[in-house]
Amino acid sequence: MKHLHGNLRSLLLVAAMLCAVGAAEAQTGTDVVIDHTRTAWMKTRILVNMLDVLSGGMPSVTAADEVQDMLVNDFRLSGLMLPALRDVEGDTLEYFVAIEGSVEGPLRDANATGEDAPVTLNLNLVSWPDRNIILNKRYRPLPHQLRTSAHHFADQVIHTLTGEPGICLSRIAFSRGAGDRRDLYVVDYDGENLMRLTANRTLNLCPSWSPDGSRIAFTSYRDGRQGVYALDTSNGQVELVIAQPGLNYGADWHPTGEELLVSLSHSGNPEIYRINPAGEILRRLTVSPAIEISPSWSPGGRDLVFTSDRTGTPQLYIIDGDGAGHRRLTFESRYNDSAVWSPTGDRIAYATRVGNHTQIVVINANGENRRVLTDHRWRNSEDPNWAPDGRHLVFASDRAGAFDLYVCDVEEGTFRQLTSGDDPDITPAWSR
Amino acid sequence: MYQGGKNSKFVTVLAVILGLGLMLAGCGGDDPAVETDPTAGAGGDATETVPPTVTPETPEVPEVEAPDYAELPPSEYGVDDVFFAFDEYDLSDATMSTLTRNARILREADVVVVIEGHCDERGTVEYNLALGEKRAKAVKDYLVSLGVPAANLEITSYGESKPFAQGSSDYAWTQNRRAHFARR
Repeated sequence: MKHLHGNLRSLLLVAAMLCAVGAAEAQTGTDVVIDHTRTAWMKTRILVNMLDVLSGGMPSVTAADEVQDMLVNDFRLSGLMLPALRDVEGDTLEYFVAIEGSVEGPLRDANATGEDAPVTLNLNLVSWPDRNIILNKRYRPLPHQLRTSAHHFADQVIHTLTGEPGICLSRIAFSRGAGDRRDLYVVDYDGENLMRLTANRTLNLCPSWSPDGSRIAFTSYRDGRQGVYALDTSNGQVELVIAQPGLNYGADWHPTGEELLVSLSHSGNPEIYRINPAGEILRRLTVSPAIEISPSWSPGGRDLVFTSDRTGTPQLYIIDGDGAGHRRLTFESRYNDSAVWSPTGDRIAYATRVGNHTQIVVINANGENRRVLTDHRWRNSEDPNWAPDGRHLVFASDRAGAFDLYVCDVEEGTFRQLTSGDDPDITPAWSR
Repeated sequence: MYQGGKNSKFVTVLAVILGLGLMLAGCGGDDPAVETDPTAGAGGDATETVPPTVTPETPEVPEVEAPDYAELPPSEYGVDDVFFAFDEYDLSDATMSTLTRNARILREADVVVVIEGHCDERGTVEYNLALGEKRAKAVKDYLVSLGVPAANLEITSYGESKPFAQGSSDYAWTQNRRAHFARR
């Protein structure tokens, strides 16, 4: 019965993919061309064969099932591939590449016994149907490391086949909670492994990952006053970075990891500053009686985009790292904020006000090709943040009541829900 | 333009009336310098209140025992929250009249209080943090102009992160656009 159910689901999946292919092919008849777009007909079709279970009994069978499912899911979430599990679809679609491999163990070493013993994963990317090995990886994960191994292999395959960086090992930090208490949490890019990072009974907001992922800078009201703090992701230790009088927030790491941009209001109103991780001010970049906030470095670390309400409404501006070369980026809408420069450098995402609600926009860094990604069905959509592939955006929306996190594939305009629950989830940050 | 203004003013007028009552009970006498027209807040365009240029008379020492200002939340001794219009940090007439009364109490109390700026849920987390600070700062500056020592007034902003009323109604929004006086 269970098997039959699985087959049915897979058949539906295949049917859905066929529909997607049909729709995409119909679309190619139009003249609309969007850069970087990889519509369904351009996606790499990849077959995921059932892994051979060589030894180890049920733990190995379970591991094989989980790895297969994860690989299919990772390929699908990449937006670059059309995966299918081998057991059902037969030769319906044409494939040029496939995954195959085996699971062995658990090996019963002297020290490793029972459930905690590692399995051996032998995974191959092969040409199809002639089965020449393109990529071979061997992993020896403990049960809690199995997901990391599968994600790692998926990233390797995606990079090998598309040249794009995989995001399967990336994670999203965000703020969750209500009332007097909001804590930082982190979740895998696929919505698994939710974990709380802070527990200090106060507000913790606006996380920002250091480029190497070793630290998360964030804004907290711990110790009774607002400041920027940094959490060491290896041991959970939190250190104060800067707590000048007034507001200290909006931290964004420089691509070198050697300094941060922050907004500080100790001069009387928020201005953009460059500081080092020890909290020393290196340079003040803006001087005006207006609000200057929400800075984001370009991936090259030369320019930054930020918000200023110097004209009376919050708008986006770009300056260089010395505070020179002002240019205004946004002219539409009376409310634009929360800009983030894409890792590919060509685009900027931000939040704009449409009527009474906030929506997500992507615009080219030169101000052209403005696209609003969300509409009124999304109620309020805020706090966009780029995945390292520059293709996916995570943002917060209250379309289901409380704010939850969603991921948008910017090229295809498709969405998936990342987090859920009654407590609002806001200010997400995708690891590099 | 928006529905919330009526609520805001109603709440403020209530606060003014309650506050005046408390004041009279506490001081046992008139204080012409801070006498406000109770209709000023509700009248809308009727009065253009000019901030007093003369420092109000110092109130007489109250005969009842003074509240323990350092221990009580400011609302307990008559310092009321003030409210703002959507996306604004300007002080309305009603807000200024509440602050005039707050100033007199704060001068007498001579304790450090924290002015927290708050916003409704509309708009972004980051801009609302800045807007909340602008509101707190506008309140502080006005109180300082009325003779409250600047050293006694700390400001902070919670933006939209600590709403007083839940929900997405005009009422909730009106309640949440405020400067709140908190014990340090």
